[in-house]
Amino acid sequence: MLRPILGDFSSIICFKAAITGMEEALGEKATAIALTAAGRYRGKTLAQELDLANSSMSLEELADKLDHGFGKDGTRLCIVEKIVQEDNEVIKVHTSETLCSADEPQGSQRKCTYTLGAIWGVLEETFNQRLQGKHTESILRGGNYDVFEFTKLS
Amino acid sequence: MINVSMLQDELQNFVSGTSDVQGAALVSPDGLALASVLPGGMDEERTAAMSASMLSLGERIGRELVRGNVERIVVEGEKGYGVLVACGSDAVLLVLAGAGVKQGLLFLEVKRAVARISPLLA
Repeated sequence: MLRPILGDFSSIICFKAAITGMEEALGEKATAIALTAAGRYRGKTLAQELDLANSSMSLEELADKLDHGFGKDGTRLCIVEKIVQEDNEVIKVHTSETLCSADEPQGSQRKCTYTLGAIWGVLEETFNQRLQGKHTESILRGGNYDVFEFTKLS
Repeated sequence: MINVSMLQDELQNFVSGTSDVQGAALVSPDGLALASVLPGGMDEERTAAMSASMLSLGERIGRELVRGNVERIVVEGEKGYGVLVACGSDAVLLVLAGAGVKQGLLFLEVKRAVARISPLLA
């Protein structure tokens, strides 16, 4: 445990306040870039900790590993529901209960940046492949999941 | 679809063909490196994220402090310059140059490089 009394977890309220405070000071775009980069760094570190680098596991196994790292038994960033591949080019990661979407009103235009980056970092490290990532579906805008889509970069 | 190898070639030609230019990187607005020719030891991903957020921050400063549209952002250090310019709406160009470069010439070469690179992003 990192803190003897308060333990390892802190409230989403403070994390989101940090995000909105950064947006207020630096603008949404610069904040999004910083949070996505921070997430990618975290994702790469997690992939190394879980010994996923250059592994050839199935997407189902990877989804389990990711959920273990980020989900209920991990850091509770989000639940990783499934990972699917389309046309051998596009990888879609379906998540729920993302930290970024928590407590946001329906219809909010908020995009997941840190969560996108964290998953992005894990995938890049696992597949040893540069990817371009986007948040394509949101539970805040009619989706059943927060979906992150990754395409391979040459 | 963007032809990354053409972008890489264009950057390579720009860096090797322009005196005192030491490196360059082309970055997407969300901070992803598209192509780069950077001096050894520089982390491409970190440089890309810094460049995109710096330009975005500069544009915000331009708006908040009523400075109008930002033409370029220049970091001037004792060892040289880092110049950031928008390359159309789809990319940011970072150019690194030595301290001995003539500023006017550098800005002109950067402008010409943007004119050559922008069509490749269309």
